[in-house]
Amino acid sequence: MSDSTTTAVHFPAILASSVHDMKNSLSNLRALISQLESRYPDNKPPEFKLLEFESNRLNNSLMQLLTLYKIEASQFNVSIDEYSVRDILDEIVAQQSSLLALSKIELVAECNDDLYCFCDSTMISNAISTLVNNAQRYCRSKILLSAKQEEDYVVFYIEDDGAGYPQHFLADTQKYYGIDLATGNTGLGLFFVATIAKMHRNGDNFGFIKTDNDSHLGGARFSLYLP
Amino acid sequence: MLNLSPQKILIVEDQAVMRETLKHILYGMNAKQIIEAENGNNAIAAMIKTRFDIVLCDYNLGAGKNGQQVLEEARHLKLLPFSALFLLVTSEQNPAMVLSAVGNKPDDYLIKPFNGQQLLNRLERCFIRKSALADVESELDKGNLYQAITNCETLLAQHDKKIRMQLLKIRAELALKISDFKTAKAVYLDVLLERDLPWARLGLAIVAYSEGDYFDAIESLHELTEQFPMLLEAYDWLAKAYEATKNVDGAISAITQAIELSPHTILRQQQLALLADSVNSLDLANKAYKAAIKLGRNSVHKSSSDFSGLAKNLLKTKANSTVLNLVSELLEQFPDDPEARLRAAALETEIYRTLGKNELAQKSYEKTVKLNKQFGSEASRELRLEIAQTCFQRGNTEIFDQIMQELIKTNIDDKKFLESITRICTEMMNENYAESLIHRVKQELVDINNRGVSLFKEGKIKEALAVFEQAISNLPNNQTIVLNISKIMVHDLKTSGGDSEKIQKAQAYINKAIQLGIPHDKIGGLQAELARITHHQHHSR
Repeated sequence: MSDSTTTAVHFPAILASSVHDMKNSLSNLRALISQLESRYPDNKPPEFKLLEFESNRLNNSLMQLLTLYKIEASQFNVSIDEYSVRDILDEIVAQQSSLLALSKIELVAECNDDLYCFCDSTMISNAISTLVNNAQRYCRSKILLSAKQEEDYVVFYIEDDGAGYPQHFLADTQKYYGIDLATGNTGLGLFFVATIAKMHRNGDNFGFIKTDNDSHLGGARFSLYLP
Repeated sequence: MLNLSPQKILIVEDQAVMRETLKHILYGMNAKQIIEAENGNNAIAAMIKTRFDIVLCDYNLGAGKNGQQVLEEARHLKLLPFSALFLLVTSEQNPAMVLSAVGNKPDDYLIKPFNGQQLLNRLERCFIRKSALADVESELDKGNLYQAITNCETLLAQHDKKIRMQLLKIRAELALKISDFKTAKAVYLDVLLERDLPWARLGLAIVAYSEGDYFDAIESLHELTEQFPMLLEAYDWLAKAYEATKNVDGAISAITQAIELSPHTILRQQQLALLADSVNSLDLANKAYKAAIKLGRNSVHKSSSDFSGLAKNLLKTKANSTVLNLVSELLEQFPDDPEARLRAAALETEIYRTLGKNELAQKSYEKTVKLNKQFGSEASRELRLEIAQTCFQRGNTEIFDQIMQELIKTNIDDKKFLESITRICTEMMNENYAESLIHRVKQELVDINNRGVSLFKEGKIKEALAVFEQAISNLPNNQTIVLNISKIMVHDLKTSGGDSEKIQKAQAYINKAIQLGIPHDKIGGLQAELARITHHQHHSR
């Protein structure tokens, strides 16, 4: 039973079921946290917000692993519909802003109210949340979320006022996902965003990502193109 | 901003901590009336007592019903007004695909974890969409398909981008419902011109199927399932199309694929069981019946026929008296259901007969006859057919004749069903029996129609209506009769006017005609005339 071929065949499935189990465990953990939280009607310790932030991050990562597994196993396809871009950005601000406020970071969303886009809104929200989490680590005090139509694409921009991406990173984003175990940057988030982007297709156009330092705020800019 | 204080809210969640958290969030948003339920049964009980405006229901509710099953039961029992919001809460990232059961979707999914602001945003968005679609949904709720279409067209003309795609989808689905395939096709093609959306491609395949182009449908559905493996509805239509081409193996493989992706849908298990039974795949049928029975414990779709199906399946392989346990299980699961009692008695007869216990078989048979006399006419046609066969085997041709005649009368337009009746009768007696019965009923229909139509032509409207109305009580599902009575009623309204009661009656007949599958090109004009009359009445008052 323990020869290497069976292990190789089974490992992805075991990984997936473990991730699933971790997700359940995490959701119990969150329930316990909120139970604890309810004991402090006033003067809530600030650690609760940090707990929420970290558990959000953990949940995002687990969900990304699971989705990537399902894509490999042909158990996943994006479910595309037409969404108001404003609604998508509002959703992200709703999820993130109180957490960001804790570290005194301002999250601003700007877009036209009549901008619409075809996408899988759950996946795209998750992708953008991940990018905001990333930006939060490198920015000084501000993150700008925006979107606009550029020819055949709707482009989502995540910009910050940090130091920008290092040169070697900008050279080849598609290959180099910025894996840096020292800073906890595993490359998962970026890989996930790139994969989900590519699953958005319209005719011959596919979604893609771009990174540069052309931020209006002077730092890094991440662009997510959806056809 | 959305004001939650007048809204009656139901939280369905098995974990106390989560309920507390949700309540906390909702009270924080000014909600005043919150009821909690920790499982599906309590949720249904609460919905019977109170009509809620918002139901937040977790998918995973522990041992009993899951959230989807709560939704199905609530809709089935009509506990949710069309204006109510039902949100399914889940940690599944792709819920619309993974959890959706055939044709019964919640208003939206809420993906865990979410905070108060996210919940509020979602509720607000749902209410905006709901109220934008209210004119269409309310008519759909009443079964007025044509009025729903008119209202849908009006809304589409307002070019509201937020609901445009949804309106187009509804518009096409409505066209399918009234067998207006041309419009359905046009809408789907229009959408596809703008964007390659799976639901529009599925729609085109459904149009192909409905127009009888089964091989085209099969081809495009195959393509669709390859490109979008999680589009479960595509497998359902693929199975239908295969069945229509008499390729049962193809149908079985399509349903099996859907079940592998989403194993908890009872309707698919039931369908698989019947398909497998029809080609004598006993093991497969056995497994599917068992799965359906298990899922049925928590489902409004549970059916006593799953028990008799499994029992008969077992009789074919290892006939012994343990099969009788299924009879008692059946009765236990359907305590106040006359159809189930009748089915149990017929099944018991069959089991005893197979086991060679003739005295007991005779006793059960007598019970069957008695119950059939009491409830037979309300039973499903499959069960009635079964009882007719049992009676015939016991030498009671009188009941056999009676049931067959009634079944033929009520299903005279259903070619497939008449075929199976003919097949059974041919096996049991001779070829001519069913055919002469069918011929007789058809002749009766022709006579009634001739009589009614000639009375109408003589200007004896009242008498003509009387002829058709009497015919409907005898032959309730015949397209020609329902179409003719609709025509006469609209004509009568047009020439001699009438009150709103009369208009409602005419509308009811037209709705019945649509339900019987009379296509748009035959009924559409009539509906338009009735709409003009109604409109005129409103304005002349």
